[in-house]
Amino acid sequence: MDNPIEAKGLTRVFGDLVAVNSINLSINEGEVFGFLGPNGAGKSTAVRMLTTLLKPSGGSAKVAGYDVASEASMVRKKIGVALQDAAIDPLMTGNELLKLQAVLHGITRQDAKIRCPELLERVGLTAAGDKRVGTYSGGMRRRLDLALSLVHRPKVLFLDEPTTGLDPTSRVALWEEVRTLNKEIGTTVFLTTQYLEEADQLAQRIAIIDNGQIVREGSPAALKSDVGAPTLRVDVVDSDFEIAKQVMTELGEERPARKGRIAIGLTGGTRAITVVLKALEDQNIEVQHVELDEPSLDDVFADATGRRLEGGGDT
Amino acid sequence: MIRQPQAWAPTLFFPLLLAAVYSSQFSKAVSLPEFPYPDVTFLDFILPACVIQGVLFGSTNSATDLAGDIENAFMDRLLSSPVSRSSILIARLTSAFSYGLVQATILILVFFAFGAELSGGIRSALALILITSFLSMGVGSFLIAIALKTGSQEVVNSLFPVIFVFIFISSAFFPVELMDGWYGQIAEWNPLTWIIDWTRVITIEGFSWKVLLQAFSVIALISLAGIATSIRQLKRRLAMAS
Repeated sequence: MDNPIEAKGLTRVFGDLVAVNSINLSINEGEVFGFLGPNGAGKSTAVRMLTTLLKPSGGSAKVAGYDVASEASMVRKKIGVALQDAAIDPLMTGNELLKLQAVLHGITRQDAKIRCPELLERVGLTAAGDKRVGTYSGGMRRRLDLALSLVHRPKVLFLDEPTTGLDPTSRVALWEEVRTLNKEIGTTVFLTTQYLEEADQLAQRIAIIDNGQIVREGSPAALKSDVGAPTLRVDVVDSDFEIAKQVMTELGEERPARKGRIAIGLTGGTRAITVVLKALEDQNIEVQHVELDEPSLDDVFADATGRRLEGGGDT
Repeated sequence: MIRQPQAWAPTLFFPLLLAAVYSSQFSKAVSLPEFPYPDVTFLDFILPACVIQGVLFGSTNSATDLAGDIENAFMDRLLSSPVSRSSILIARLTSAFSYGLVQATILILVFFAFGAELSGGIRSALALILITSFLSMGVGSFLIAIALKTGSQEVVNSLFPVIFVFIFISSAFFPVELMDGWYGQIAEWNPLTWIIDWTRVITIEGFSWKVLLQAFSVIALISLAGIATSIRQLKRRLAMAS
């Protein structure tokens, strides 16, 4: 069988702007795939093409085995979509919206009667099911939106920035929901996000998109290790600083560090820490603080684009 | 409807208020020498116009809702589901028609309560209700086209005064025979004048199949043009779909 999502040279142009520039995607069955990029990178445009809301200007894509342009109506039957601005009528109750969504997907009344309470329970909204959506919190709305996108048991689920604007607790709750969904039902999930942590936490594989192009692709771990060695940071007493620096830079490439701290790239994996510490010990240098930092996805992003996605950390 | 009374209540209340004002202010107009229906009360005279006015004001509702759906991305939800594309339009047209049906019925009942009379009895009442409901759909279809093109509730709502002007430069509250110069000229060419005059024939002189067909054929032309425009706009939106 085909992969649930395949794209070849997928392109979308708006006037002079190439929003998505010839991207290739191949997403495996049962995978959570993260599409990571800053605002305006082309994430939503790509999702709109894959969900048949926008016609590609070039290239092709297949979702659930059907072409998004020529077999759009088949694609729509197989996918669940939770878009960025959850389109939810505040005057309706969660239950009513679920029933409406069931009607939109041609689910019979009897089936919907069983399915809707099931879904409400799944996303923890059973108690709020009969309340108007206008009274829901942001997290509740997103969870309802997730339930809505699941009504027809889609094979492929598209989540466009599912946690943007949510508080940390709601965010973690939603992640948990997506994880269980993926594990229990095996739904393939295509997730766009501008949060590094979200991609890191949820996705088995990610693609980084910038200016409409995919600049990196792979598992978070592989991408990070590709960027280079982890950074070892060491604080020593001031009198030992110069000699410690000399010892350490012999063992690894010097990296920028704040004043009074020495940082090197640690080639040879984490076991090399002992080598460094031993060398310092041999020189009778008193180590006050040791810190080992794996490269983050932000480092991956910076390496690929020369920019940081989130505010630069303390180095 | 029950949850959003502010959306439809004004469209009922407003025409009734105008009717009350006009019938008390201009009731003497019936006694003017050239008034076409000297034997009826002014209330009877303005009844069809008031019903049409109320329904036309209401015809913006369906288009406003559609624009709202586009604005808050509910349209995306619809479009990403397997719902057929044409049903999006058909649903809105049906809703414009039903809005009209309910409004016309209520308005006529209220007029009866205030002592208005229909010479053709129940048949005339039904004819009036059907004419106005179809008119609501016909005018609604133009507004729906605009909603599809702009995707903006504000734009759709801003057309409200245009409808108002159309009604005022027509025979709605004053017979064309009594109008002067360019104003009368425009009123005579306003299709709304024809429709209002025809409904007046039905409600004042009595039910007539011929007049009913006349009214329906004009409304059918308006609707065809409107629906064709909205189909074009829907196709455009689907092709662009952003």
